[in-house]
Amino acid sequence: MSRLALLALAGFLTACGGDLQAAGQKTLRIPIPTDGPKNLDPVRGSTMYENQVCSVIFEGLLQYKYLKRPYELEPALLAEMPKVSGDGKTYSFRLKKGVRFQDNACFPEGKGREVVAKDVFYSWKRIANKGNDPKSWWLLDGQIKGFNEYRDEQNKAVENGGKFDYDAAVSGMRLFADDPYRFELILVEPNPTFQYKLAMFQLFVVPREAVEHYGVRFTRNPVGNGPFMLRKQDHWTTAKSIWLYKNPTYRQETYPDEYGDDDKKAGRHKAAGKRLPFLDKIEITFFVESQPMWLEFMSNNLDYTTVPAENFAEPFVRRSRKLRSRWRKRGATGYAVPLLDFIFRGFNMEDELVGGYTKKRAHLRRALQLAMDQREINDAFYNGINTIYDGPIPPGLAGYPPNGKAPDSLRGPSIERARAELAKAGYPGGKGLPKLDFWTGQASQAKEQTEMLQRQMRRIGVELNIHLVDFSTLIEKVHKKQAQMFSFAWGSDYPDPENNLALFYGPNEAPGSNSFNYKRPEYDKMYLRMRAMSSGPEREKLAIKMRDMVLSDVPYMGSMARTRFYVVRPWLLNCKPAEVFAGWWKYLDIDESKR
Amino acid sequence: MLAFAIRRLLLNIPIYLGILLLVMGALRVNDPIHFRLSKNATPEEYQAVKESLGLDKSLLVQYWRFLTTLDLDTESWDTPGITVGEKLGDAVWPSLAITLPALILTSLLSVVIGLVSAFRRGTSIDRGLVFFAVVGMSVSFLVYIVILQYFAAFRLNEWMGKTLFAIQGYDPTQPGWWIKFCMLPVAISTIVAMGYDTRYYRTVMVEETTKDYIRTARSKGLPERTVLFKHMLRNAMVSVVTRIMITLPFLVTGSFLLEVYFNIPGMGKVLISAITAKDFPVIQGFTAVFALLFIATNILTDILYAVVDPRVRLS
Amino acid sequence: MMGAIWKSRGFRKFRKSKLAVGSALVILSYIVLAIAVLCGAISSDDIQSRVGARNVNGFGVQQKPEKRWDDAEFYVAEVNRALTTPGPEAALKEIRYGRIVVADRSVAELQGIVADANARMDRLANEAEDINEQPEFWGQLDELDAVIAKLFRAPTGWDGFVQTMSLSCGTDRQGRSILARGLYSAMIAVAIGIVVAVVSVVIGGLLGAAAAFYGGWVDYVVIWLYSSLSSIPSLVLLGVIVFMFAGSSSENTLLPVYAALCLTFWVGPCRVVRGETLRLKELDYIQAATAIGQSRFMILLKHVVPNVSYLLFINFSLLFVAAVKSEVILTFLGLGVKDGASWGLMISAAKPEVVNAFFWQIGTATALMFVLVLAFNLFTDALQDALDPKHIA
Repeated sequence: MSRLALLALAGFLTACGGDLQAAGQKTLRIPIPTDGPKNLDPVRGSTMYENQVCSVIFEGLLQYKYLKRPYELEPALLAEMPKVSGDGKTYSFRLKKGVRFQDNACFPEGKGREVVAKDVFYSWKRIANKGNDPKSWWLLDGQIKGFNEYRDEQNKAVENGGKFDYDAAVSGMRLFADDPYRFELILVEPNPTFQYKLAMFQLFVVPREAVEHYGVRFTRNPVGNGPFMLRKQDHWTTAKSIWLYKNPTYRQETYPDEYGDDDKKAGRHKAAGKRLPFLDKIEITFFVESQPMWLEFMSNNLDYTTVPAENFAEPFVRRSRKLRSRWRKRGATGYAVPLLDFIFRGFNMEDELVGGYTKKRAHLRRALQLAMDQREINDAFYNGINTIYDGPIPPGLAGYPPNGKAPDSLRGPSIERARAELAKAGYPGGKGLPKLDFWTGQASQAKEQTEMLQRQMRRIGVELNIHLVDFSTLIEKVHKKQAQMFSFAWGSDYPDPENNLALFYGPNEAPGSNSFNYKRPEYDKMYLRMRAMSSGPEREKLAIKMRDMVLSDVPYMGSMARTRFYVVRPWLLNCKPAEVFAGWWKYLDIDESKR
Repeated sequence: MLAFAIRRLLLNIPIYLGILLLVMGALRVNDPIHFRLSKNATPEEYQAVKESLGLDKSLLVQYWRFLTTLDLDTESWDTPGITVGEKLGDAVWPSLAITLPALILTSLLSVVIGLVSAFRRGTSIDRGLVFFAVVGMSVSFLVYIVILQYFAAFRLNEWMGKTLFAIQGYDPTQPGWWIKFCMLPVAISTIVAMGYDTRYYRTVMVEETTKDYIRTARSKGLPERTVLFKHMLRNAMVSVVTRIMITLPFLVTGSFLLEVYFNIPGMGKVLISAITAKDFPVIQGFTAVFALLFIATNILTDILYAVVDPRVRLS
Repeated sequence: MMGAIWKSRGFRKFRKSKLAVGSALVILSYIVLAIAVLCGAISSDDIQSRVGARNVNGFGVQQKPEKRWDDAEFYVAEVNRALTTPGPEAALKEIRYGRIVVADRSVAELQGIVADANARMDRLANEAEDINEQPEFWGQLDELDAVIAKLFRAPTGWDGFVQTMSLSCGTDRQGRSILARGLYSAMIAVAIGIVVAVVSVVIGGLLGAAAAFYGGWVDYVVIWLYSSLSSIPSLVLLGVIVFMFAGSSSENTLLPVYAALCLTFWVGPCRVVRGETLRLKELDYIQAATAIGQSRFMILLKHVVPNVSYLLFINFSLLFVAAVKSEVILTFLGLGVKDGASWGLMISAAKPEVVNAFFWQIGTATALMFVLVLAFNLFTDALQDALDPKHIA
């Protein structure tokens, strides 16, 4: 108590002091909605916010081109893009030379050593170790030759009291004694989307010394080779804020010189060729409630912010989605970043009432789909800024229908048709249909949203029984196939339709990602064929065929994708917000004179 | 005296043991391992997690471990790499930076108002003060926070052109941090708490004014001020101190609403996220520590009472 | 017994105080309202159905231009959608905002009006960039409103009154009447207040009296129970209770709220009643009753309970207020009321509206709650003055 009183007193006495910020320091101040990352070990990470922070501390083999749209990959730690063999199974890699890990106490004399090929394999093997509580085993599951066997063997050894041997050989992972930068990977089957995974943060490279030095505390002492680093542990207060500082030994990386006209117009081309990163410090604040975040931004204490849907109409004109003139006059710029989102209300296809592939059941699901009014939901809760579309493939990817409308669209509301379908299903006016169980996770407005859905369903005489549960319970119910209907969302891991079409692949049934337990042998065959194909018009045709098949079976109702809106202050330079990939903070720069 | 103290101590031990048992039991009603495991765990994985958490041991062994370590050295489930003890230790100071000044401010203000009110009993001043106290406590805490953050922080700063009260944040390394980050939350919790305290202290003071010694003092012709401050306040102090003592352990729980809105990394926030994330070791550890504090202050209060009033010792 | 209490000196004093009687009347009117709601004056349909566009201002306060445009767009789109379905007449009949229905016009006529409105809006969309800042376009909005008014039949008489009332405090994000929801929530609040306060007071009072009266192990167990409960922070206790109810069939009812609050609230009355009973036990007449061999239970019932009843009254009203206020916090945490409406739900839903300067929802819920809680607080004070022999006003 006395320590506190003293602190408080000191606070009073120095109340008139100025800002202690060193002159010439460039500090980026940004928000993260929600309570932020819970740990910073790539292997344990799963949320988008863990991704954002991990992506500037660690680096992977590949990264996305910052200014290029549609998205394209480029080498990060690699010296060049991987070479794929003729059969599509062998990948050869070569690392850049001279890339060093961040200086840290875990290394001899505190100096970070060079990143070599065996670090990559070590980092990936960590995802096989159940002791690390990995969240993303699915990324490598069944992909690399001999890796699943390695995982089983090593975990069995641990269960029997042994150690997890990271040095044990995996037949599909090859190192070269004469060249520490070269390595090869042999896949189980050709998979063109595999390279997207090489840009995902769960597979980023970590130094073995740090993991062994810090043990489980590595989660709070991240050491990578990225542009920014966590200097001290108390720079990170869980659920409040994290401060990252420039990594002075960051590899030779320059601002991209590949840019489009819009980039030129926004002045994002000026930094081309300059050494990264520009910032000295990033201050990230986590906001559980949107009110303080929005007020902080309005007070110029944040350099950019994502706009909470409920505040959208403040900076943006709803119709044109352009920034209001009042805001533009103050130099702010607005960005609309479409998310690869698939928000839906799913059916359990194995359920006795709503599931199944008979005509009658399909009529019932169609009736519900036709009764649903997504536009009303969009207007009420998202200020009308979300994209409503047909099918499971989000906007911007091959297989997305033109204007979001598929040829045989069953999009509601079409009450009369819905009633007709309901009658065909054997429940005219909803008579004889028991209350349907609808499961949804507790999130802001989830309750209100389900109330609206309830009201919409009531129009055709269907009653919903709402179960508002916390998220882990929801997942459990879905994975145990106990949820008749459920509200879920899927964010694509990489910009390829395969990722979303996998949600309907039979063998992925719950507890896998196919929460619908949708099983159509024809579909599965098409999926397997598509997975092995490289992108092109034929692959897109296949994707469309699969999409339409899903649409006519209605294993879920309504697709919606969010668009994230950013407002950027005039002193923040080079800003081109992206949602598909993280790690773009390293390109940002601050013009302190405009602040 | 010593015998009394020991008796109080012994009496409280079973209570403490009971609380720990209660908490341990309640948290095991729904199998906690399910919250720890990833999506599709096999029975072997389940068993492994159970063992690694020590949940496979008999309840008695778990209880003993809990009793001796309070589970403060276990790792938090939600934020791996940090122990329960560290988590609670880090969160307690920010919470106290709000709750302690708020308690002091509230007590001071309400004792004074209570005193004035009691002294001017029945006048319009009294009625006005009581009415304001009641009005203050008739609005939800959440509403105060939402509205005052908007007006007293955001709008005020905008109007003044500089930051008086920060909209959110907590950084004790900054100069003037307390006024910047804590003043507004303290003010809000004072407004809310003052209603209750004022009414309580007023009742206490009014009761004192009817006591014989006051009548005697007055009849002796002592000036009102002496009666008020020297005699009455001193006697009423026992009730004041008791009430403050009772409140003390609650200071460490912080106020989660304030902490969430003002982004103060305190105990309330830690607790809420532990509850929503089912961070079972944190909930368990915190409850154990809190119960300990609570009982310790209880015993202390009892002993203090006994010192002041020897009759208590007999009962 | 009630009659005796009514005629007692304390109650006469209570009846004389204007503030006390006033607050009692306010409370009474809330209870009457709650009963009316229970009897169906405001149905669960009334609190869920649309009465207009979203976030309409209360008291007929005019919207910002862009919002007026939004609302116009909403109404036109609704009618247009009905017109484009295969059987437009049936679909048109289904459009209903509270008591407002589509005007008695032919489909062709309505199509004409919709086309007119759409043309006007298209023109606006082409010309106006940020209509809030362009007063020159506001005239067009008035014309647009006039066109849209032709689409609907304005209710008159009783229906008109109901419609005006349901819009009087505006609408929420889903176009539901804030006033209806606020009033319905009053019933929920009164229900929570009464149930929680009665159960807590009865349990607490009985246990407290029994503990003090029988002493020995009964006393010990009761003390152990309430000491244990009060040394667990209420937040944790509430979390655990709600966690235990998760997945059960009563999950969506008020039962978890009742249980969570009662469990923490009974401690207060238990403590004071125990203290008071301990004091009473030593009094001569109870000693005498014991001496002449009356059964202990009868003594408890006949002599102790009536004498501590004033404490129960006071505690009842204290706990009532606490329960109503706790509901808001519990609901904020997602642990409280889940279905229908409550002040907590309204305040939680209204949080983001404050920065948008839409105060109607948070204001209505807060005002309704404020009046009830204020009345109860004043009532408690008056009750204490009247009933507590030690309490001097």
